[in-house]
Amino acid sequence: MMLTRLGAVLRKEMLDGIRDRRSLVSLLISALVGPLLVTFLFSRIAERQRSADEVSVPVVGMEHAPAFVDWLKQQSGVEVVAGPADAENAVRERNADLVVVIDKEFSEKFSRSIPAPVRMISDGTRDSARPKVRRVRALLQRYSAEIATLRLISHGVSPAVANPLKLDDIEVSSSQQRAATILGFIPMFIIMAAFVGGLQIATDSTAGERERASFEPLLLNPVPRVSLVVGKWLAASTFAVAAVLFSAVLCFFAIQRVPLHDMGARFRIGPPELLSILAVTIPMAFLASALQMTIATFARSYKEAQSYLGMLMLLPTLPGAMAPIYPLTNQPWLAPIPIMGQYSLVSDVLGGKMPPVYLFVVAAVATVATAMLLIAFTTRLFQRERIIFGR
Amino acid sequence: MIEFERIEKSFGRVQAVREVTFTARDGAVTGLLGPNGAGKTTSLRILSGLMKPDAGAVRVDGVDAVADPLGAQARMGMLPDSHGLYPRLTPREHIRYFGELHGLKGKELEQRVDGLISALSLDAVAGRRVDGFSHGERTKVALARALVHRPGNVVLDEPTNGLDVMSTRAVRDLIRRLREEGRCVLFSSHIMQEVSALCDSIIVIAHGRVVAEGTSEELREKTGKTTLEDAFVSLVGLEEERTL
Repeated sequence: MMLTRLGAVLRKEMLDGIRDRRSLVSLLISALVGPLLVTFLFSRIAERQRSADEVSVPVVGMEHAPAFVDWLKQQSGVEVVAGPADAENAVRERNADLVVVIDKEFSEKFSRSIPAPVRMISDGTRDSARPKVRRVRALLQRYSAEIATLRLISHGVSPAVANPLKLDDIEVSSSQQRAATILGFIPMFIIMAAFVGGLQIATDSTAGERERASFEPLLLNPVPRVSLVVGKWLAASTFAVAAVLFSAVLCFFAIQRVPLHDMGARFRIGPPELLSILAVTIPMAFLASALQMTIATFARSYKEAQSYLGMLMLLPTLPGAMAPIYPLTNQPWLAPIPIMGQYSLVSDVLGGKMPPVYLFVVAAVATVATAMLLIAFTTRLFQRERIIFGR
Repeated sequence: MIEFERIEKSFGRVQAVREVTFTARDGAVTGLLGPNGAGKTTSLRILSGLMKPDAGAVRVDGVDAVADPLGAQARMGMLPDSHGLYPRLTPREHIRYFGELHGLKGKELEQRVDGLISALSLDAVAGRRVDGFSHGERTKVALARALVHRPGNVVLDEPTNGLDVMSTRAVRDLIRRLREEGRCVLFSSHIMQEVSALCDSIIVIAHGRVVAEGTSEELREKTGKTTLEDAFVSLVGLEEERTL
């Protein structure tokens, strides 16, 4: 049997890991950061969205257009308030998100069917005001269109003549998918958890073992090197899988609690979605640990290993950074590429577009195969005199 | 029984071991004596199976350590030059872990662990994590875990290095006990009194070569000196002239 005494190595590394405060802390942090941030950010976004639905519009010069103001007041969720005297300054000073200013020539021009001047003052750099500004602009345009229709009818012209185009806005992305672009960073958090959860054990059982000179005595035992490597790998992977499980399950509960319907999402993430996410990310935990072990074994010292592994942490953030430029959803050919595949599949699952089962299999097989290659390479490294004696 | 047969090993252009041939018998203590850099540690690493020699053969009870390192390791307990411990494990856990790696389990393993803990008087600290142990305590733990499988051959690389008087005596007593049990003990040292007091046979190594072999008296007679130290200096010096 090739993997003799594997259990002894696994048990020892688990015991050592559980007693190591650093490995427990990294497990905890990696599991909690994602869900906490998700909860926080989504409640903020939802709050902002709600504030756009129930909008209060400061209007200056209401007396110049009483009919228009009445119409505004009748719209659901709209409250008209008196605007500040110095409208531009109020917006610049952030006392108001926007101000509608009705010109004193409004009623005169309006009655003569000349375009009546209305100014909307807003600050384009303010993201938080954007949904509200969009809402008010839509209201103003709708009023304009309604009046135009009435005028044409009064002139005996069919309003259809004035509308050469019949524009139907058909949104292809489901509302779930739209919310998924906002949820896009959840896969990154879960994949990060795979990278952080087992990091300490992966480093401590390789570079750490050499640093405290316990590596040579360990290798004096009549155990095949592959058993040592696989035992250590499984211990690190167990921690990484635990981090993934915690992170995914907590994210799941966080999403359930977030008022997503306020964001216009008909959102449904149930147990099948959670299970799919786990099926994608758990193989990733094994790969992350294998990669970290290989690097930590290759490094000349513990310090060197830590700096390499610090750089490695950028890897799971790469797809997240790419996503806004190059959308990774619905790209089945990415499945066999570790990390990218996971990112893409999780995004699809969260977007309510369950990928076919074979893609899950492809992603898992490719990821585990890569991990096994790395483990085979690490086993080779464990035979090298330079690695054993630090030459 | 441990046999070295014309072992050679170089690191780049440095020839660490030129030609090492000797035999360490069962029921005897064989001392490997040599100045720093003579090739003692390299020879022992080759014996451990962790380093491949450029030429020659090493056998442990007839098992070739190069061709079958695991077989040789199973017949041998070794305290290497560097013998670090796991700071978060207790002495008991250290010994048990190595026992498991040798395929021991259950009651037999626990009995061996208990036996070693009392033999090396580690009882008081057996359940404590080794982080913060003294050098002597650490060496004892490392020794205990190397002996858990009751090896017929015991190899110790400078076991008393840096130990205080009490720990040194404990290690020397242990070496005598192992000899009485009929095991083959091979240890390296550069402490003359220790080698002279303990060894049935002394192998003097200098510049990667065995320059003399025999009991303390034989070496003194051969060189015409009154102490082992003078004999050693004369042997090593001769080799130095030859190499130059």
